[in-house]
Amino acid sequence: MATFTSEVEVLDPIGMHARPAGQIVKLVKESGVEVLFIREGEETKANSALRLMAMKVKTGEKFTVSVTTDDEALANNLFAQIQEFLKG
Amino acid sequence: MSSELKGLGVGLTAAVGTVHVVAPAQPLPAWGKSTIGAQAEAVRLKAAIGAVAANLDELGARSDSTTAEIFEALKMLLEDDELFETAEGFLEEGSDAAGAIGQAVNTFAELLGGDPDFDARVDDLQDLSRRVQANLAGISVGLELPQTGQLVLVGEDFSPADTAQFTPAVVGVITRAGGPTSHTAIICRARSIAAVVSVAEAGSLINGTSVLVDPVGDRVVVGGSLSDATKPLEFAETDGATLIPVRANIGTASDAVTAAATRANGVGLFRTELLYLSANTAPSVEQQAASYAEVLAAAPAGPIVVRTIDAGSDKPVPFLNMPHEENPSLGVRGFRLIVEHRQFIVDQLTSLEAARKSTGREVWVMAPMIATVAEAAEFAELARSIGEFKVGIMIETPAISMQVDSLAGVVDFVSIGTNDLSQYLFAADRMNPALGALLNPWQPGLIRMLAKIGTDGAAAGVSVGVCGESASDPAFAVVLAGLGITSVSASPSQVNVVSNALASVTAEQAKAVAQAALSGTDAASAKAAALAALAATR
Repeated sequence: MATFTSEVEVLDPIGMHARPAGQIVKLVKESGVEVLFIREGEETKANSALRLMAMKVKTGEKFTVSVTTDDEALANNLFAQIQEFLKG
Repeated sequence: MSSELKGLGVGLTAAVGTVHVVAPAQPLPAWGKSTIGAQAEAVRLKAAIGAVAANLDELGARSDSTTAEIFEALKMLLEDDELFETAEGFLEEGSDAAGAIGQAVNTFAELLGGDPDFDARVDDLQDLSRRVQANLAGISVGLELPQTGQLVLVGEDFSPADTAQFTPAVVGVITRAGGPTSHTAIICRARSIAAVVSVAEAGSLINGTSVLVDPVGDRVVVGGSLSDATKPLEFAETDGATLIPVRANIGTASDAVTAAATRANGVGLFRTELLYLSANTAPSVEQQAASYAEVLAAAPAGPIVVRTIDAGSDKPVPFLNMPHEENPSLGVRGFRLIVEHRQFIVDQLTSLEAARKSTGREVWVMAPMIATVAEAAEFAELARSIGEFKVGIMIETPAISMQVDSLAGVVDFVSIGTNDLSQYLFAADRMNPALGALLNPWQPGLIRMLAKIGTDGAAAGVSVGVCGESASDPAFAVVLAGLGITSVSASPSQVNVVSNALASVTAEQAKAVAQAALSGTDAASAKAAALAALAATR
């Protein structure tokens, strides 16, 4: 399977807090594919809102989203929706 | 034989019902080592989490949409995959189910700790952990109230999670703690549930006893019947002139419409925070002007007093990035924001001026959280340079209360926020349920301060309004008029009843009622003396 990556930026004024983290986890679970958030070489599986919150990503910070799938359209759709959730 | 317990009444409705004591939460058993093995513990833990999640669903279904969203978010944290996996790790090490969930939550609490953005989430997690542990131990944390009957709940105080569980059987509420502005009081007033709060002897009430909850009499009568309930002072319905103008407190365009259907003479407090608290980016001047114009156009005839933003770190505006503070009510809030966010306040005044022009309404502007004459002068100068407003300040701090004489020629008017003035005067946190009795507006310390402000305002040629909760009480509104207050502003639902009261007395009578209130040495005697003097005028 292929892996697609894209950079996203947290624009939400309180960073990656409970609501966007919850929305992202729900989306990732529904998609059925493995999604990783990578920052400074550290990987976090996007299946737990608590883990995502514990990354403590603040407003203006960027990180890489990696999606393992053969469906490029699905990956791009996930990137776009994750970025949307982080707009606040 | 009936006995009587004193407290602070909420609302005007009395009720009789059976005492249902809500016991304080039982202590949770200590964590232990498993005797049944990790796999069996995991099954127990999964079941307990499922039961708590189902309970959250049930609470959500009974709540309004905002509260339902809170329960939905809590459920998401509770059912988090990693939380369960972390707990399983502790089970492998030999913990029992309660110890595993407790330690797993502690692990995440530590990961999220030290970050003010997550403080409230850490509290939520710990509360969920306690609920799961209680379920495992077979201890009840919910209220589990019957659907039918006539219950009077008795407890320390009730949280939003508690009040969400009130069933139609709840006709009355008695709390040992909590004040007139506590969550319990607000919910009971909104749902017309009879309530008496701050009842020191509430602990003496026994399950199954019949009691009269008599909020107008500020008391609970054991064995009392509805015919014993204190009658509220009734003022004849009239549209005659009121002794001083009665205005309305509003926060939104729909409040303005509601207020316009009352006899309100303009708006005495337009709270502007709602426009900003949910916005992630600053609204443009055009957007703000359009929102204000909508409110101004709908407001009742008369002047409209607009309070500039009253945000603080407990009521943060997302786009102002306010840092966490140890004591938000004593921190950078209200007009103090001008140091860091001058442009924001300039934009707000500019938008108001545009809305004033487009609607042709008379607009007064005032700044909250003023402590010195220099701050008042700074705001007045700024506001006058931007628009044709009458300019004033809120009086909430004891410091500016002592300098009203020095405001002559500086501002046109002041408006007293009695809720915050009480908080600062009595050094009593409004959010602390144990301090409710100090926040009673009938406290002599507050009444004397109001008298001083009224007298000094008259001498300085500055008009003095009151826009706190206290002005929504018709009897207290008469006291205010007698103390030299020149206008009051009440919740739209109270405008007509306050107007009736202020149309039924002369200036001399109001002064006599105020003098009677000033003779009290504690809140109860001040109120009793004022009510007796008021009754004597009729």
